[in-house]
Amino acid sequence: MEASVARARRRTELGLVLLSAGITVAAYVLASIGEKASMPARIIPFLAFVLLLVIGAHAVVRVVARGADPLLLPMAAFLHGIGFVMIARLSDRWAGLQATWSLVGVVAFTATLFVLERPGDLRRWQWTSLGLGLFLLLMPMIPGVGFTSGGARIWVSIGPVNFQPGEFAKILLTVFFAAYLAERRDLIVQTDRKVMGIALPDVRHLAPIGLAWVVSVVVMVGERDLGSSLLFFTLFVVMLWIATERTAFLVLGLALFASGAVIAHQLFSHVQTRVDIWLNPWDQYTGRGYQPIQALFAMANGGLTGTGLGLGSPGAIPAAHNDFIFAALGEELGLLGAVAILSAFVLLVGAGMRTTLRAQGEFEKLLAVGLTTIAAVQTFIIVGGVLRVVPLTGVTLPFMSYGGSSLVANYVLLAMLIRVSDHTSQTLHEVPRDATPLERFTTWRLKRAAR
Amino acid sequence: MNQRIRHLTVALIALFAVLFVQLTTWQVVRRDRLVNDGRNNRVKLREFDRPRGEIVTIDGKVIALTEPVDLAANPNDKFNLQRTYPHGDTYAHVTGYYSLGFGSTQLERTMNDVLVGKTPQQLLEATGSLLSKTDTTGRVVTTIDSRIQEAAKAALGDREGSVVVLNPSTGAVLAMYSNPSFDPNLAASHNGNTVNDYLNQLQADTRKPLLANAYQERYMPGSTMKIVTTAVGFDTGLLTLDRKFKNERAWVPPDTKKPIRNYGQKLCGGDVAEVFRRSCNIPFARLAVEVGPDQMVNGAARFGFEERVPFDLPAAAASTFGGLAKDFADSLALLAIHGFGQGQVQISPLHMAMISASVANGGRMMQPHVVDRTLTHAGSVITSARQQSWKTTMSPTTAATLTQLMIGVVQNGTAACCMKLNNGVSAAAKTGTAQLNPEGETQRSHAWITAFAPAQAPRYAIAVFIKGVNDEVSASTGGRLAGPVAKKVLDVAMSLPESPAPSP
Repeated sequence: MEASVARARRRTELGLVLLSAGITVAAYVLASIGEKASMPARIIPFLAFVLLLVIGAHAVVRVVARGADPLLLPMAAFLHGIGFVMIARLSDRWAGLQATWSLVGVVAFTATLFVLERPGDLRRWQWTSLGLGLFLLLMPMIPGVGFTSGGARIWVSIGPVNFQPGEFAKILLTVFFAAYLAERRDLIVQTDRKVMGIALPDVRHLAPIGLAWVVSVVVMVGERDLGSSLLFFTLFVVMLWIATERTAFLVLGLALFASGAVIAHQLFSHVQTRVDIWLNPWDQYTGRGYQPIQALFAMANGGLTGTGLGLGSPGAIPAAHNDFIFAALGEELGLLGAVAILSAFVLLVGAGMRTTLRAQGEFEKLLAVGLTTIAAVQTFIIVGGVLRVVPLTGVTLPFMSYGGSSLVANYVLLAMLIRVSDHTSQTLHEVPRDATPLERFTTWRLKRAAR
Repeated sequence: MNQRIRHLTVALIALFAVLFVQLTTWQVVRRDRLVNDGRNNRVKLREFDRPRGEIVTIDGKVIALTEPVDLAANPNDKFNLQRTYPHGDTYAHVTGYYSLGFGSTQLERTMNDVLVGKTPQQLLEATGSLLSKTDTTGRVVTTIDSRIQEAAKAALGDREGSVVVLNPSTGAVLAMYSNPSFDPNLAASHNGNTVNDYLNQLQADTRKPLLANAYQERYMPGSTMKIVTTAVGFDTGLLTLDRKFKNERAWVPPDTKKPIRNYGQKLCGGDVAEVFRRSCNIPFARLAVEVGPDQMVNGAARFGFEERVPFDLPAAAASTFGGLAKDFADSLALLAIHGFGQGQVQISPLHMAMISASVANGGRMMQPHVVDRTLTHAGSVITSARQQSWKTTMSPTTAATLTQLMIGVVQNGTAACCMKLNNGVSAAAKTGTAQLNPEGETQRSHAWITAFAPAQAPRYAIAVFIKGVNDEVSASTGGRLAGPVAKKVLDVAMSLPESPAPSP
């Protein structure tokens, strides 16, 4: 009975990843027909590559995490595929690089699942995670290594490789916070002092919220990366709130955020600029307002049903492959397509939250909620920025935007969620408790030695 | 913890709900406003780079086509397709140009739907083959004959002016060239600065090269107008062939003290045939006054004066007889002057060709057209030109009489010098020398000839106009200056086989 649950989940997953692959290839063909009125030149290699990636990732899950939620991987594959089609439509060169990064992403996904045998193992790396996370976060500020591109100093250049270490820092800091809070939530909550009716914990235990605040400020001021700053801050406040079950922390967090936002707006011109573009883009159409307005034009052009893949003008939006990929997709796929994409994100976040709810240990719960919150809030920040719900701050759209760091980091994040989900299923005896890859390797070695 | 996690889930879904609402706002609710915003040029840019069909001459020469951009030579080109005009300025006033940001003109504008494949018939044809690579662009076949057009350009040389050749019985424009012209390739450049500079330079040019002077500008016709006055005279019955005009050097018309003189202040007179072929002024001034303001203005209206010529290219000029009947009733002197094409009379070269074409066609003036037919990519006909008459300018009898008078002009009149066509083909013509300045000032004059050939079974009607911009032109006459141009063009035209031109 246990094995049949796992089989059913994997069967669902296989069906869905094949569907995602099918949609990706069909979209790729349609985009080429729309744009050049001909079939794509290398359709067979493309089909083979897509199938290799999705079936490869699925096979890895089947072997080492067969009890995991069947929605997580297919949703990521769908978003990844549609994003890739748009990037390929915008530039052959980007498409080539993104294809390489896709492969690296799936390899990272596989490696994570193999190396991370149980989510709890990460607790041992609590302080290492913090140290490495902070190092990565601050790395772009190191002279000679970090550099500024697109107004934010979030890039690092080592040898021939350029990457955004912040993408990985957010995962490491989530690991640290989950471990730290799982360990000390009782201590943080325990208090006998009250100030103005609010129970205040021991200052020592307030350190993490202070750290969150510091990290956010550093990212905002030092790296001018408002989106990531907001993301970190939200992440820490949410995790603290979930861990302590104290609404006071949420209120405190929001208050800190609000005051921080006001102060930042007063002090920093780049914050003022962002807010100004958000509120009055039409007044500066020929300047900074050009990009957001082009995005609105693009989406309006798409209307309900879209221009059709390959038939819009996504090239007219600056950075359409990156921050504005959602607007480019909105133009060619219309409201219907954009809603489908957002729904895939909702399903992905939903699967993450289901994993969180089912997770048995406190650490596992906090880890899953942190990772899911990253994906959800990051999506909201960038899509909301493109749609002018919030000021535009440059973060990548998970799985869709062009960029290696973001793609690889998101696949690592996905693998960790899958690991938590699978572990929970085993703990709940829904699926048989499988030997971990390391255990299987050890058994095999012992058997060989005994022979 | 789980309760908080559920709250968080609800909160995150609420955030996404906001995104869904806002997405609908931009893509549906406020869509029209954004799409119609003047700054939203994505539709324009997209449209600009669409495949576009060819424009060809009736004899199959491609005069406008779209080619793939050579990305190796133009790595910065944002577009895939380049509109090209292989014959430079020769057909510029027929095809017009297709520019980025400055719109399009002439056939590129009026035939846009056919060229990009947006007519209902083309759309229907396209739906049958949605996913295949089918080209849906259309083709425009003009009535222009490249051999006649090139002859017209060569004959005009570097003189400013226009040549229009018509088929008198159908109204098809076989050639229409004006000098100066322009190079539509530069106007169709994908480099915004090139286009801007070139078009600004053309706009600033006082010779108006951007305007198709052959049908969008009008000029004083001079003695070619005597065709109209004579036809009105015959049709009102006030003029008969046996009428004799006094041999005189000057005549003072009513309402003035200023005498009217003949060209070169010559003594001139005789019967109708003689005064017509010698192009005396005074007889036609007298005739106009005899016919009177009402009849003259009505007569001119029968020729299409004061009305926009119904041409299938945009913004055709309306010729003018230079006043209303009541204006002339107040000053018969003015009517007298207008009677021989001086004063405020103005006509476009196209209309001038139509006038002799109507004589050649027994008094029926056909609607001129430059589009013979439009075809889908598969080659089925979308539209084809209909032969429609526009005006009845004169009775067939009058037309026959005028033909005889115009033959006289070629045989021993003002065009005798220059209109003897090759192989003994007989032509009928009327010359004009429009004097632009009052007596006493430095004289500037336009040179005109309007003719048709062969005189007995007309195949071609022509108007040649040479603008009086310098002493060389102004010192000569319509016959001597425009005559040889008309002869060269008609000789080439007459050498072409009479059967309809081969389909491209």
